[in-house]
Amino acid sequence: MWEHRALYVAISPFYILFAVFGLFPIGFSLYLAFHKWDGIGVMTFNGLNNFKYMLTDAEFWQAVGNTFMIWIYSTIPMLFFALIIAFLLHAPFVKFRTLFRVGYFLPNVTSIVAVAIIFGALFANNYGFLNYLLQSVGLPVVEWLNAPWGIKVAISSMVVWRWTGYNAVIYLAGLQSIPQTLYEAAKIDGASAIQSFFRITIPMLRPVILFTVITSTIGGMQLFTEPQVLVGNDGGAGAAGMTIVLYLYRESFINNYFGYGAAVGWGMFLIIALFSIVNWKLVQGKSS
Amino acid sequence: MIRRKRTCWTAILMVCVLLTSGCSIWPGQDDSANNKKVTLTLWYWNRSIDDKLIARAKEKFPNIELTAQKIGGDFKAKLKTTLAARSGEPDIVALNDWIMELFPSEDRFYNLYDLGAGDIEDQYLPWKWKQGVTPSGQMIGFPMDTGPTALFYREDLFKEAGLPSDPEDVTRQINSWDAYAAAGEQIKEKFGGKVFLTDNIATVYNQVISQSAERYFRPDGSFIGMDSATVRKSWDTAVAFKEKGLLANADGWTPGWNAAMNNGEIASFVGAVWMKQVLQEAAPDTSGKWRVARAPGGDGNNGGSFLSILKSSEHPQEAFELIRWLQSPENQLEQYQTLNLFPSAPGVFDDPAMKEKEPFFGGQATGPVFAESAQEVPNAFFGERYPSVHNIITRRLNDVAKQNADPQQVWTDTVHRVERELQR
Repeated sequence: MWEHRALYVAISPFYILFAVFGLFPIGFSLYLAFHKWDGIGVMTFNGLNNFKYMLTDAEFWQAVGNTFMIWIYSTIPMLFFALIIAFLLHAPFVKFRTLFRVGYFLPNVTSIVAVAIIFGALFANNYGFLNYLLQSVGLPVVEWLNAPWGIKVAISSMVVWRWTGYNAVIYLAGLQSIPQTLYEAAKIDGASAIQSFFRITIPMLRPVILFTVITSTIGGMQLFTEPQVLVGNDGGAGAAGMTIVLYLYRESFINNYFGYGAAVGWGMFLIIALFSIVNWKLVQGKSS
Repeated sequence: MIRRKRTCWTAILMVCVLLTSGCSIWPGQDDSANNKKVTLTLWYWNRSIDDKLIARAKEKFPNIELTAQKIGGDFKAKLKTTLAARSGEPDIVALNDWIMELFPSEDRFYNLYDLGAGDIEDQYLPWKWKQGVTPSGQMIGFPMDTGPTALFYREDLFKEAGLPSDPEDVTRQINSWDAYAAAGEQIKEKFGGKVFLTDNIATVYNQVISQSAERYFRPDGSFIGMDSATVRKSWDTAVAFKEKGLLANADGWTPGWNAAMNNGEIASFVGAVWMKQVLQEAAPDTSGKWRVARAPGGDGNNGGSFLSILKSSEHPQEAFELIRWLQSPENQLEQYQTLNLFPSAPGVFDDPAMKEKEPFFGGQATGPVFAESAQEVPNAFFGERYPSVHNIITRRLNDVAKQNADPQQVWTDTVHRVERELQR
């Protein structure tokens, strides 16, 4: 080991930074989860009270429910559109492919706060662009940001808009790695385009689909900026936009229950871990 | 081989240089020993202290090397992080109306009474002064600006609805929340529901409760209870406004609020003096149509800030002299003229600068209205848990206003939530 010290030093920055900004906060948050702390004063040991409070708090469970609803509202259309876009981009007749790829990817690198402000203007109850469109075709206006489902739709649409292109690019890479010979063989055997899509493309893409499902699960469970900017720290009307991370943020940084916030963080960790395993089993299970 | 090794070490060295050059790990040497100049750091947010005043402070105190830092973003979070880290703390820091959240950490601040604040106490509004004093009697915040409230109303719409429209008549006739609600029903009838009396349910609740000397806690920290006359009255008034259809449901600080104000859909609201600025920026098309009268039901205060000296400061006496000068009545008057910050020193209320006519308010001089209000604000005790209790209530009131939730059921639920919150 000593003779390779130069190499160890060379890779050390990552491990040092990880220890300082990754490992330590994780360990500290576990410690914090069993304490009561307002962020400035002394920490007092609180046993399992933070976890007890969390499990009995209606707002926490509402936040969990909201997060799942928004995840379902956003992930299903997002991955569906992404697959279609990737399939079209992969088609041999498409010209200016790079231009389209960049175009679809662009929303992903846009400032999320700016996006939330724009969507806020689109979905606004009075003077919103969507309501303007509804009114101009003679339909009644919808109070998007006052209705529990409306808030969820607004947040989900933001996620869909931002991440569809990202997933499409990943699917496109997956499509490009499927050997052309499989399609040729299928063609010789007389398979239609739809048959080869479901019998070749989808099975060959399974690992890629699994990857996107897992990443969008993790991303969806950690939704924060979109609801915070769109409906504020309290999750908007009826707390319908209150997600788990927004709840964690409000309890820690607005209400100063840092120990409780840490406990919620660990609760969320368990939920994401469980949910990722379930997803893995579901998507993986079909192939075996 | 040797050559390759050297290249490797050079690369490591360069990475280290790049990593460290971005941030300065070594704090600057304390040069106070060399030239007897005292270095003070001041944290404030944009528009809380005028830049010109800070420049003048530097001239006025040649013995102080003042570093004034405008902290952007979430000021409170940054201050709390710094306090928790116990490193990089400023000497002087501005605190907003969340000052009571820091009362449990009073030992992190200098008691300004020890530095001579008691000598000038009589120059400031008593209720404002007391907001900076902790329950144990330590003064941690020196008064900056205040936010006395008044009724902002559209003179043209009031007149059209057959209501009194002259500020003095409005003050005299619309003097209670009931009279105000009755005026709202008259407006609703006259404009066929196109114009609402006021913006949202939280404004009504906030303003009723801010007119009371009693909030949620007693000075000894005990909870007064949700069934206190004040809470009940504020809640019932807010719910009544909703049930009578007087609310536009336009939340503050949103484009929707700005649009509703600018398009004349909201005829009035009770708000603090700093709403003048907010309103002028939100509703430029309504310039000249607004007036200000005393608020129905009494006077109150929203917001206002303080200056504090942290215990980590090595030069508290110099810091106090600086604060005392920055917030002297004359300088507060100047800040009123430059930044619209309303003075907490009533001695300057009679100055001609406070009585200037304002075109946005149709030539009315609104200064005297707020000055009278400022002197009548009840002296209220907040307590460190005020924000969390208050937040739960206004949050649930929003459900009543926007989702037509049953007020009685929401009330029961809110009482339960508040009790749970207090047991944490």
